[in-house]
Amino acid sequence: MTVFSTCHKVIGKQYIALSLFSVFIGIFLSLVMRYHLVHPDTKVKLFQLLWPDGAPGGQMTPELYLSLMTMHGTIMVFFVLTTTPQSGFGNYFLPLQIGAPDMAFPVLNMLSFWTTALSLLTLLAAFFVEGGAPLSGWTAYPPLSGLGKITGPGQGLGQDLWILSIALFCVASLMAAINFIVTIIELRAPGMGYFDMPLTCWGWFVTALISLFAFAVLLPGGVLLLLDRLAGTSFFIPGGLIVNDQVQTRSGGSPLLFQHLFWFFGHPEVYIAILPGMGLISTVLSVFSGKRVFGYKAMAIAMLAIGGLGFVVWGHHMFISGMSPYSSIAFSVLTLAVGVPSAVKTFNWLATLWGGRLRFTAAMHYALGFVSLFITGGITGLVLGQPGLDVYFHDTYFVVAHFHLIMGVAAVFAIFAGLHYWFPIMYGRFLNEQLGKLHFFLTFAGVYALFVPLHFAGFVGNPRRYPDFKEYEFLKSVMPLHIGVTHAAYFLAAVQLLFLFNYLWSKRRGALAPANPWGAATREWRND
Amino acid sequence: MTNVARSAQVLLIAASSMLFAAFTSAMVVRRGIGGDWAAPPLPAWVLPTILFAPLASWLLHQRRVKPAMAAGAALVAAQIALLAHFRMAVIGEAFCAVLIAVHALHAAAGVLALGRFGASAAIFWHFVGLLWIYVLFLFGVWA
Amino acid sequence: MAIAILIAALAGATVALFFQPRWWFPDAISAHAKAYDAHFLFTLCVIGAIFVFAQGLLTWVILRYRDRGQAPSAHEGNNTLELVWTSATAVVFLGLAFAGQGIWAGIHLDAPAANALRVEVLAKQFAWSYRYPGPDGAFGRVDTRQIDDASGNPFGIDAKDPAGRDDITGAILRVPAGRQVELLLKSRDVIHNFFVRELRLKQDVVPGITIPLRFTADTPGSYEVPCSELCGLGHHQMRSSLVVMAPADFDAWLQEAQQKAAQP
Repeated sequence: MTVFSTCHKVIGKQYIALSLFSVFIGIFLSLVMRYHLVHPDTKVKLFQLLWPDGAPGGQMTPELYLSLMTMHGTIMVFFVLTTTPQSGFGNYFLPLQIGAPDMAFPVLNMLSFWTTALSLLTLLAAFFVEGGAPLSGWTAYPPLSGLGKITGPGQGLGQDLWILSIALFCVASLMAAINFIVTIIELRAPGMGYFDMPLTCWGWFVTALISLFAFAVLLPGGVLLLLDRLAGTSFFIPGGLIVNDQVQTRSGGSPLLFQHLFWFFGHPEVYIAILPGMGLISTVLSVFSGKRVFGYKAMAIAMLAIGGLGFVVWGHHMFISGMSPYSSIAFSVLTLAVGVPSAVKTFNWLATLWGGRLRFTAAMHYALGFVSLFITGGITGLVLGQPGLDVYFHDTYFVVAHFHLIMGVAAVFAIFAGLHYWFPIMYGRFLNEQLGKLHFFLTFAGVYALFVPLHFAGFVGNPRRYPDFKEYEFLKSVMPLHIGVTHAAYFLAAVQLLFLFNYLWSKRRGALAPANPWGAATREWRND
Repeated sequence: MTNVARSAQVLLIAASSMLFAAFTSAMVVRRGIGGDWAAPPLPAWVLPTILFAPLASWLLHQRRVKPAMAAGAALVAAQIALLAHFRMAVIGEAFCAVLIAVHALHAAAGVLALGRFGASAAIFWHFVGLLWIYVLFLFGVWA
Repeated sequence: MAIAILIAALAGATVALFFQPRWWFPDAISAHAKAYDAHFLFTLCVIGAIFVFAQGLLTWVILRYRDRGQAPSAHEGNNTLELVWTSATAVVFLGLAFAGQGIWAGIHLDAPAANALRVEVLAKQFAWSYRYPGPDGAFGRVDTRQIDDASGNPFGIDAKDPAGRDDITGAILRVPAGRQVELLLKSRDVIHNFFVRELRLKQDVVPGITIPLRFTADTPGSYEVPCSELCGLGHHQMRSSLVVMAPADFDAWLQEAQQKAAQP
């Protein structure tokens, strides 16, 4: 039976298929949001068809917008960025690259995938319950997320399902993390030391270690939040609240406590999304430069450093939260410190290219694009990492632009690079190279056109998570910028159909690939 | 016991420790700032349950898996009975209930693992025993 | 080839965007805001230089080492280089971290002025209210049962407390220019955020705790206050104003408001 397969290759493909499904839902949601931002008063039949309660007569309500935003973020972070680079590629290629017959626990592996799938279904179910999907964002800060329907539609059953979905995702990720780490520790081919592994394996290894500790903290946060909602506890709900003119009876809880638990997971999550990509990019750059990775050991150590430091910088998400201003100073220094290993990786990528003979395959294009985006997205971290400067940019579109570039798009470019690079192993055929390059050029330009201008909305002070900008005088000047950005978003989304077509078409009709077509040196290309 | 089984248990223990550390630090913070902390009342019969864990570990050491599982199941039953004592609206009791419930899940998983893998799952079981002592200490002494 | 040109073009366009005057910070209206702008400009120069250097190097490497049939070099590492660029970035990045502490300290760590005007700020879904202590300089006691938005008592000032009788409440934050203001931020329901762009200040308003926020505005005018922490379906409409007044105007307003408050 292939549905509940325990074969790592099948499970890897299942994870990739799940994210491909998710990413198109996520993109669709973002298009609906971008459309509404620039046409806040236009009635759209489609909206009414999809969300009869949220868009009566086709006029989108603010609560619908916020629920789309919540679902977009949750789907993209968990079911795309956390899923494909680690669970998709990792499952398929980790055993092949270290010479293991399969993952250490194939049945557990199958369970991880199906728990993830159940988690996705649970999340999507939130769209169809009374009140619709939750509106508290992917960060779900209490008390907004902790008091039920009284704080807004979608905060009832929709928010419960959201928390349940995240809890399931935590369990699935913990199982997967144990599986990955055991596989790497115990099933490496005889004679293969840790520093003989390809950097992709280092990426998956460090990511699995991060997952193990990060999801084990998100899970308690979710459990306590759910109890606050359903069992009348006050872990995060302070006393004396009057919500919607109704006096609340809870007392003593701390909203900041939830933020600490959330961001202790939330920041390492960024590295969960990007580290596997970093490993992969190193490999692709090296193969298509005809050179070994420059500074292999430094690269592996930099990954470990990023993983380790990643656990002590969560406070930079809370500079303006009301926590002690002294702890902000410590978090600031540590945050800029975590930039150092990231910069080291960039230097090593450039040094890998240096003196090489560059072959511009589609995969190489995405890898080079990744490096450029990693620089552009990462560099603004030096602004946001300073609490004094963060006080202006926090919760503005500057932050939206920053994390979309560094966490979203960079990781997605790594996924594109990986799919082009490994497609011959996965399907015995090539993804069409010409179409791939065309898709790269259009996507790369589209991404810059979309996200670079968004920083400037941040300069004006444009707050994020606003369903429209009509209320404020100062936001009138930003509208032309948002209109431009929205067009870039349409363009970018349309261009992704090229990739979808290429993927589906090449799977069956693509040019047949010989063994090891790229001349790579790692084990997955051997035919034994 | 294979290396794979040992590594998996060590990692599981690491994740569980992290889980309990998160709950504990949440409790420390919540106790410190809430101003409404009261020690949760534990019934006197809880104290002897501290012996269940060493008993089960000792039985395992003697390779008597079935009796060890019975001891574990008894612990889980006692924990479920204990949960009825707590009011969720009182914060100390709520934390107590949550930690006991989470521990009960671990203990139940430990018992199932013994049934499935026999003595190979012993490391995790010893950890579950220690964890129970920790939970009792947390609420019996510290709280 | 084409990719090198595209990277250079996009990086160039990114830099060029910084020279358009249209979308930028609003004018600064406090000494802190001016210090903020200066430090931001410094940071921008540093990261701008890094950006141009890194994207430029990437472009150059792609052009220089494109496949022209050359044999790839065999070098695969150099510990001296690693050490150099690790310590160089560490110096620059940590230097920025330390250089930025001044403006942070200016917001939260410097001692408050003795004559600061204290104003209580109350956020709720989806409105702001402000309370001044009145001539006695003391805020009246609060009794949550007396909260009544409709009759103009969102704070729930206890009618029995004499200290509360002269308290002034309103929906607009009026402050005198040139005098330090200390806001005491409180929320009644969920987390909100008090943000004044022109002051370069932003602070979450968290239920259950009172968070102080100090500033000294210099330029009279009216400035918008947008809620900047997601607080529910009316988040985008939770708008308020900060009105900075010449000291004489502020005194006149205060006196009038006090007289109104004194009439039962």
